[in-house]
Amino acid sequence: MASLPKRIIKETERLVSDPVPGITAEPHEDNLRYFQVTIEGPQQSPYENGVFNLELFLPDDYPMEAPKVRFLTKIYHPNIDKLGRICLDVLKTNWSPALQIRTVLLSVQALLASPNPNDPLANDVAEDWIKDEEGAIKTAREWTEAYASKKDQKSTN
Amino acid sequence: MSKVPRNFRLLEELEKGEKGLGPESCSYGLADSDDITMTNWNGTILGPPHSNHENRIYSVSIECGPNYPDEPPKIKFVSKVNVPCVDSTTGEVKSSVFHTLRDWKRAYTMETLLLDLRKEMATPANKKLPQPKEGATF
Repeated sequence: MASLPKRIIKETERLVSDPVPGITAEPHEDNLRYFQVTIEGPQQSPYENGVFNLELFLPDDYPMEAPKVRFLTKIYHPNIDKLGRICLDVLKTNWSPALQIRTVLLSVQALLASPNPNDPLANDVAEDWIKDEEGAIKTAREWTEAYASKKDQKSTN
Repeated sequence: MSKVPRNFRLLEELEKGEKGLGPESCSYGLADSDDITMTNWNGTILGPPHSNHENRIYSVSIECGPNYPDEPPKIKFVSKVNVPCVDSTTGEVKSSVFHTLRDWKRAYTMETLLLDLRKEMATPANKKLPQPKEGATF
């Protein structure tokens, strides 16, 4: 395998030595650009008490190109689709090489705290959210308990 | 080049498949749009021209296992077809016979596989083979 750019090594080291509260990111041994990630649901959000598994990959052109990030745990959220794909500006048009793995994961965590049904990826979820916010939040809580509860967190891989 | 992990590779293929493949001779998509593991896929192959397959549309099912794309997917015809590399009772494409599966490379995709199968149907040895009734399934 081609050698790993210094920037990625530095970022990885810092993720381990100085982790972000509520977030873990560990590279796979056989592919150091491929990370197994967990994000704790933010307090006072419908995802509270949940731990969500994600995967993150740094493409060849990183940091000129944004990391690729996907949820592996099922989640009911207007900006995350059934396959775990995330609609988030910093992963697309607003990516900048000044951002990092750490800042991207913080943005994902912030997205959990403030769902944005007006810029949906999962249209049916967004519709629910706009029509009946209370009901949608209840469903999101139920899904968190069913699929992301801390006690039965075993990696999906 | 770094190794794109299975799931991100399949997401790329999914997006390409959704946009449509250039000449429209093949297509594929997830069998179950909820399947977070992206294991089962459906595909179609438009029968190649100047062959007994002309104007037919063949359905196939594709299974991308946990080791895809390091290992080839399994592919099976749903529509009945008579080609030597396809098992005549199950519709399975025989990985020991069909070169694209036998000599699989990580860079190959489901698109490669479908286009190569279409080519295989059009080889001089295969193109005039008698075919089952149109619409029959395995």
